[in-house]
Amino acid sequence: MNRVVVTLVGKDHIGIIATVCNYFAENSINILDIKQTTVQEYINMMMIVDLEKCTKQFSEIVCGLEDVGKKVGCIIRVQHEEIFDMMHRI
Amino acid sequence: MVELNEVFETNTMICGENLDVRTITMGISLLDCCDSDLDVLCGNIYGKITESAKDLVRVGDEIGLDFGIPVINKRVSVTPISIVGSSACRTSGDFVRIAETMEKAACEIGVNFIGGFSALVQKGMTAADQMLIRSIPEALSVTERVCSSVSLASTKTGIDMDAVKLMGSVIKETAEATGHRDSIGCAKLVVFCNPADDNPFMAGAFHGVTETDLVINVGVSGPGVVKTAISKVRGENFEVLCETIKKTAFKVTRVGQLVAKEASRRLNVPFGIVDLSLAPTPAVGDSIGDIIQEMGIEYVGAPGTTAALAILNDQVKKGGVMASSYVGGLSGAFIPVSEDRSMAYAAEIGALTLEKLEAMTCVCSVGLDMVPVPGDTSAETISGIIADEMAIGMINQKTTAVRIIPVCGKRAGDTIEFGGLLGSSPIMPVSRYGCKAFIDRGGRIPAPIHSFKN
Repeated sequence: MNRVVVTLVGKDHIGIIATVCNYFAENSINILDIKQTTVQEYINMMMIVDLEKCTKQFSEIVCGLEDVGKKVGCIIRVQHEEIFDMMHRI
Repeated sequence: MVELNEVFETNTMICGENLDVRTITMGISLLDCCDSDLDVLCGNIYGKITESAKDLVRVGDEIGLDFGIPVINKRVSVTPISIVGSSACRTSGDFVRIAETMEKAACEIGVNFIGGFSALVQKGMTAADQMLIRSIPEALSVTERVCSSVSLASTKTGIDMDAVKLMGSVIKETAEATGHRDSIGCAKLVVFCNPADDNPFMAGAFHGVTETDLVINVGVSGPGVVKTAISKVRGENFEVLCETIKKTAFKVTRVGQLVAKEASRRLNVPFGIVDLSLAPTPAVGDSIGDIIQEMGIEYVGAPGTTAALAILNDQVKKGGVMASSYVGGLSGAFIPVSEDRSMAYAAEIGALTLEKLEAMTCVCSVGLDMVPVPGDTSAETISGIIADEMAIGMINQKTTAVRIIPVCGKRAGDTIEFGGLLGSSPIMPVSRYGCKAFIDRGGRIPAPIHSFKN
């Protein structure tokens, strides 16, 4: 398992999650968990995904999701899960 | 499983509060490069550095990308060159050649600074130590990336006042040698009492002789994160304030631990230490001065500043120690005047004076750092300032340092713009009363007594 956290922040509108999920499907990335909140018209979303079967380099996924972010008008960040585990778990 | 709020808290620290990994520093021992022929020695040094650290920059950038946290600097520290060059160097010019070799190696591997053009003379100077020290002005003027440090004192040995006197002149000469560039050479030169062998931060990094062949040391930062955290407990008592700093330092240090372990694994180089220092930059919101002001001090330098800094330094250590398996380096709060926007402003309006800064160095993690003073400050006065700072370190069993810049052609109240991470600052006035007869005595100040602590 190669777990990665994808976060998305931006103005909510129809099709954001669909576009992101399509990108995951096209690149054989499995979604393990999705959490989101919307405050007024803004969306905060976090997905935990598995890159195990993805054939692309991590840097390509980072760039690819940045492009997806531009398309849907949101900021998307991709980070390995360990940084969050280290900071928030003893 | 991580929670949504935890993920966004981490990312707010990174994107909004300037949390970063300040440096991954690879320590490289050059003891196996020693040779009595200078050409062979320089070839060995170049070969060892470029081979050992060839992947350092790439790996640092990759780790930054993987975890989504900026890894600002990738650097190298080496064994003090006065030891490495002692059998090959016959003149100061020979040491300059080693500095040029270090510069060439640093350019080749892409690091922005290389530390270790150093001498450890806290008890006395060998001929090689003296030659290296005398070569510093030229070495720092003909190179961009080489950093130099000289250890002048320790709690165990006392203060080498001959070396203190010599360094006053060397700092002046370095300022003059780089006078056409606002004496920038002095920003790459620091003198120490009780230096740390594993410090990853420049200009004082060197690879101590008790260290292993290669080592990875990581310096974290994050003044902005601490400032934001304590702004949420405004008006609360000191218990709450201290707990808040401690918890925040823990989180920041955990990131350093992760990056250090990962860099160590990917480079196949042993993990040394994480340095927990809060290191400011001139960027808005990345300031130690802001933290002190957030605690309730009107401007840095006002009464209460030393106590506030003591709290910060101690709580950062307490929070960070549990977060990392090995803590080392300088670990605490830096107070570099020109690199910290709030401190530079406090100096400009007269709230922060050199004398108050000296008092603050009793409780901060290093010492007088990035302090620009008038260009006509005498060598003896600089030696006097150094002696005071060395005495504070020696008596209080802590690391202290002086990185002072007598800026050529500038007077008190003028402003100096170093640019980049070095920032800008007003020239701070220095006492007009002298200490020449004291400095001219020469010799050593004996080590202090370790009992009867009052």
